[in-house]
Amino acid sequence: MLAVFLLYTSIAGGGTPQLRPGELNGRTGEVTLVGKVVGRVTGDARGSGLRFRLRDVEGTTAVPVVYRGSVPDMFRSGRDILVRGELQNGTFKAVPGTMKTKCPSKYSAKKET
Amino acid sequence: MPELGRAALIVCLGLAVYAVAAGIFAARTRRRRLAESAQNAVLASFLGALVAAGVLLTALLRNDFSFVYVWRHTSLELPRAYTVSAFWGGQEGSLLLWLLVLTGFSAAAVLLGRRSAPSLLAWTVPVLGAVIVFFSFLLVAVASPFTTQAAQADGLGLNPSLQNPYMLAHPPFLYLGFVGLTIPFAFAMGALLARRADELWVVVTRRWTLVAWMLLGFGQLLGAHWAYVEVGWGGYFAWDPVENAALMPWLAATAFLHSVMIQEKRGMLKIWNVLLVVGAFALALFGTFLTRSGILSSIHSFTESSIGPWFLGFIGVVVAGSLALIVSRLTLLRSKTRLESPVSREATFLYNNLLLIAFCLTILWGVAYPILTEALRGEPVTVGPPYYNFFLKAFGLPLLILMGIGPLIAWRRASLRGLGRTFAWPIGVAISSGLVLLALGAGSSIPGLVGYTFCAFVLASIGFEFARGTSARRALAGGSWPAAFAQLVGRNRRRYGGYVVHAAIVLLAIGVIGSSAYDTTREQRLRPGESMGIGDYRLTFRGATSERGANAVEVRALIDVERSGKRLGTLRPGKNNYVAEQQVSNEAAIRSDRLNGEDLFLIAEQISAESVFLKALVKPLVNLIWLAGFVFVGGALIALWPDAREQRRFALRYGRHEALARA
Repeated sequence: MLAVFLLYTSIAGGGTPQLRPGELNGRTGEVTLVGKVVGRVTGDARGSGLRFRLRDVEGTTAVPVVYRGSVPDMFRSGRDILVRGELQNGTFKAVPGTMKTKCPSKYSAKKET
Repeated sequence: MPELGRAALIVCLGLAVYAVAAGIFAARTRRRRLAESAQNAVLASFLGALVAAGVLLTALLRNDFSFVYVWRHTSLELPRAYTVSAFWGGQEGSLLLWLLVLTGFSAAAVLLGRRSAPSLLAWTVPVLGAVIVFFSFLLVAVASPFTTQAAQADGLGLNPSLQNPYMLAHPPFLYLGFVGLTIPFAFAMGALLARRADELWVVVTRRWTLVAWMLLGFGQLLGAHWAYVEVGWGGYFAWDPVENAALMPWLAATAFLHSVMIQEKRGMLKIWNVLLVVGAFALALFGTFLTRSGILSSIHSFTESSIGPWFLGFIGVVVAGSLALIVSRLTLLRSKTRLESPVSREATFLYNNLLLIAFCLTILWGVAYPILTEALRGEPVTVGPPYYNFFLKAFGLPLLILMGIGPLIAWRRASLRGLGRTFAWPIGVAISSGLVLLALGAGSSIPGLVGYTFCAFVLASIGFEFARGTSARRALAGGSWPAAFAQLVGRNRRRYGGYVVHAAIVLLAIGVIGSSAYDTTREQRLRPGESMGIGDYRLTFRGATSERGANAVEVRALIDVERSGKRLGTLRPGKNNYVAEQQVSNEAAIRSDRLNGEDLFLIAEQISAESVFLKALVKPLVNLIWLAGFVFVGGALIALWPDAREQRRFALRYGRHEALARA
């Protein structure tokens, strides 16, 4: 009974697919994007939005991202991050406050939120 | 030096292999001398692990950068204490810590077991040996902490966010807890292998489970406090896979601690208990795997870390092997008695177990979901906090109310009239406090209000139980109230220690509900002199400071805090810029109110002389969570404390059996 319930809630209720920028091609709907921040980071997370490009961790496809809300300590160019959002007109519009950085490979005991 | 470490690990592995082989042979052929020799091999393996750990510790303290491990995890300017904590900072070192604790616990279990349950040891030693074989093999062949290189001038250093006192204590506590669960597992398997149907393994390992469970619980609270104070996003638990990794074995062990009481008292639930102890141990391994394999920093790739597949393989072997053993011993595990009524103490224990395990499985499902969906659909799908929070309410609230019902309900079969009498008081207290809270405005969160009403019910029922026991004791033995109370607790340490732990869980629940269901958050950009209000607080931005600290530039926003017109002082939230590591760290400012346990939590971003972006959170009652940690440990210690009367009962019950086994 529990198993059926779990299957139902996890399929019907929430749960966002996790994708790399290379897998995004034109897909709509909310997803979690995983990738590496590349190039210059511009803009203001508390104003018009932080702008940067997210690339496949091992790959070349990149997508522009706009993000508002709190920025984790570890965020900067070259870091791997996760962010939830939706692709709109070629730009990934992130849900405010959903950015998480992955731990740098060294000392991976704890996450940063 | 590194050769000594490597040699010590190889010796450790050899001894463990011997303990398994000789132990099995001795148990099959009933050779006592050989069995003792296998036990001695386990004792000696501890010395091997001790030497290896000593080598690594010395290398760390001497900044010997010819050790790859030392070079990778420390640097010359790292303070001494954190150089020591680098021992468990990396994968190899933490595996060595696992081995050290494992062999230490195993040696202690063997020494204690020789006195209390020698007949059980025969098959327990090979099981312990097998676990030691796995860890020492990993350290010898797959992830050696003693790999060397050409000596380097300086090391790579330790991540700044981990350079704080919590990281000295939090990981070892978790490891002690994880590893401690090995002992009950080994004794359970040992009893099954020896075809024993009695409860001796349960009795012998009760304290081991309690200790492991206490350390695991306390370690998690330390981690939560670290996240709250140091990471500074305003929360303490985020249902992150690492956090879940420690929570799952704790829940399984909690279920186990409860259900073994049923087995001891009524001879029921034998299969269930063995399953739980296997589950708790497998989840502890899984927890180590999650925190140590790197799977969580990259949920995508299983194969990134060298130890991942080994761990999964070992978990598979443990689960499959134990299940096969349980199936082959099913006839031994038949219960002699059955549940007499769904309204009884036994039944509440059963419901508690089902809820705890259901909660544990939902968390496991959530953690494994990305992996499963990636395998099935080609893309991982993650579930977030809403998923977990839903189940926390769905299973946590009934668990809470069971804590109030369980202790007061009769064994075997409770009459409904008796129930009405017993629960009139607690229910009355619960309803009236619910109404008072509603009048005070707690109705803004229905789950919160329900939770608090349940909390009041549990506290009233615990208080009632203590009062009833004390007055009965006083009627029996006379004397003053405090003396009767002390006698009551002293004579039933296990029971009343358990109630104290229940009270701790209620405190925890009050804190969690207060800080999550009744918190307020506001964020606003402030120029100098401008202020914002949150709750009764008024926050005014006075300006910014910037100072050069030891290895960071410390930028702070000065925020004047007033409550209801009264000045409370200045808080300094800000950021540290670690120049060398090119890393920013958020330094939240917290003002705790000692009287009502409320925190004002400030996060400052984009700090300059002209403006600051201030995020403020008011978290009512959050400090009860940390208080609960101490009450929890206190209760667990009461339940653990050696009890001469219990020893005598134990000797009476199992003494003859043991004497026969020894003959």
